[in-house]
Amino acid sequence: MDTAFIETLWVTLKLATLTTLILLIIGIPVSYFMAYSKFRLKPILEALISMPLVLPPSVLGYYVLVAYSPRYWFGDLLSRFFNVHLAFSFEGVLIASVIFSLPFMIQPLQSGLRTLPDSFREASYTMGKSKIFTFFRVLLPNIKPSFITALALTFAHCIGEFGIVLMVGGSMPGETRVASIAIYDEVQSLNFDTANRYALILFAVSFATLILIYTINRKQESWKMI
Amino acid sequence: MNRINVEITKVYSSDGIVLVDMEAGNCPMSAMLIEASEIPRWIMPGNIISAVFKETEVSLAKEFSGKISLRNKLPCIIEFIERGQIMSVITLRFGEEIIHSAITTRSVDSMELKQNDNVLALIKANEITLMQQ
Amino acid sequence: MEDDLIEIDVEKKLISASGILNLHIKTSLNFGELVVVFGDSGAGKTTLLRILAGLTEPDRGLIRVGNKVWFDSQASVNLRPQDRNIGFMFQDYALFPNMTVHQNIAFAQKDKDKNYANQLMDKFGLTEFANRKPTKLSGGQKQRVALARTLARKPDFLLLDEPLSALDMNMRTALQDEILKAHQFNKTTTLLVSHDLSEVFRLANKVLKIDQGIVTGKGSPDELFLNDKISGKVQITGTLVRIEKHDTFYLLTVITGTNQVIKVTAFQNDIENLHEGDQVLVFTKAFNPFIRKIKR
Repeated sequence: MDTAFIETLWVTLKLATLTTLILLIIGIPVSYFMAYSKFRLKPILEALISMPLVLPPSVLGYYVLVAYSPRYWFGDLLSRFFNVHLAFSFEGVLIASVIFSLPFMIQPLQSGLRTLPDSFREASYTMGKSKIFTFFRVLLPNIKPSFITALALTFAHCIGEFGIVLMVGGSMPGETRVASIAIYDEVQSLNFDTANRYALILFAVSFATLILIYTINRKQESWKMI
Repeated sequence: MNRINVEITKVYSSDGIVLVDMEAGNCPMSAMLIEASEIPRWIMPGNIISAVFKETEVSLAKEFSGKISLRNKLPCIIEFIERGQIMSVITLRFGEEIIHSAITTRSVDSMELKQNDNVLALIKANEITLMQQ
Repeated sequence: MEDDLIEIDVEKKLISASGILNLHIKTSLNFGELVVVFGDSGAGKTTLLRILAGLTEPDRGLIRVGNKVWFDSQASVNLRPQDRNIGFMFQDYALFPNMTVHQNIAFAQKDKDKNYANQLMDKFGLTEFANRKPTKLSGGQKQRVALARTLARKPDFLLLDEPLSALDMNMRTALQDEILKAHQFNKTTTLLVSHDLSEVFRLANKVLKIDQGIVTGKGSPDELFLNDKISGKVQITGTLVRIEKHDTFYLLTVITGTNQVIKVTAFQNDIENLHEGDQVLVFTKAFNPFIRKIKR
């Protein structure tokens, strides 16, 4: 019972941490592109990234499951060449979770970059600095609040995920069973005690994360200078 | 300001001071200028330019006789008098042109100025500015 | 001969709230000059500076600095700002909030020459603020940091976009001295945008007058601004702020470029085409004004 409890928390934590890390790596270049590119089809891309905000998790989960299925080309490819079956596996849930949390990482970063005056970038360029150097030394340090908001929101959102994990991963102990699903299962089995413990922990973690965001955003000096 | 068309007839210059003789209609006029460096090219005999002077620098004389150092004596007819408490503005016809003179209302009364009077408008040469047209 | 010439011939169509402006700047400047770009707002001054910096791409044209081509639309040459070795001072200063004064200046340096950074801070009176973040500085201090930062990489070409606009008169005069000093110190070719005439006379070797996107005059401040179309030698430009009717005349209040208030009488025919807010020229003859010392 207790090992199962800890195992579930571990899967939850692992999923949230890995999702956040992967999204960090994807999110930085994508948000840079979204903030500054004048690409004509950008609105379509923006809409796609924001879809998880409005779409029911079950819809997205359904499409992900379909994609994983060996009956279609993507799943078929994976199964034939790599012998990988993503449905009802941790990796499968991780990929779905990354897709589902995309807007929580991209949107704060993108809007943070957009609030910086163009003259920051331009000044750095006139000082002979490359775009990448400018991004890491001038732009990113000046959107610290957005950066932390993006990280914390993504993390908190992952911890609270329910629908998509259930759709794609089911509730396999030690593999895809995360705390939010465990609560549901425990309540179904009338184990209110355990459900209560999960709920308390989820509540505390989410609450603490949000307090962190608001504290940092308040302390952070504004870049506005005039 | 008053602005009338004049034709330059002669330009004298000595040590930065320039005296410009001009004609407005048939009436001779003069302007004294300071031109430390070069005299601008447009100030030369034969050119039609504007002579500009302030209303407050135009004195009036009626039935004038005797000698006066003033170089600019323009014969005018009074068209209209706008009386103020202290200052009055007199509209004058000078040939084809209209000029104005601002003098004290007291003078208007003591000289008994009225419409259609013949008067001389008097302006010192150093009060006249020249402008290219 | 050609080696110390900056040749500019650029065109760009600008679309703004006030309409379309066809910018076409064609001129040449000599190395080492301090050129003030003068014109009304919206005339294209800032755009010209940005084009020279490589931050805005012209539609077509040529920029040649000495024997180096910076931009040539026909040969598809367009040097990045990074490759032009310039110093650009932005209207909003663009100081980086995450860095201290010293770090801002050091950031701009090519070689991390600590001595030179300290020299610059010393010269602009910034040493005591070296470890302060820009948000903790006053407007004047920020402007000094921004100016010092543009010099930090020892640029060949200094582009200053209204560097002194936010300052009061005293500070302005002091910083004008700094700009002159900086210019005399390393003879960097400098282009400075201004719409303040006193600044033009104070700083410029040469004035580039721009109106509606076109160069309408180039020369010394005397040549360009002493109006020789009027023989009156006392000429003051200013803004007409008030027209009051008094008895038979009008009393006009004009604020001059140096923020002096002057009063001028005018008559009916004068004020017919004058409105409050107009830019006006107040002139009289050199004979008339009195003069008296007020300060030594």
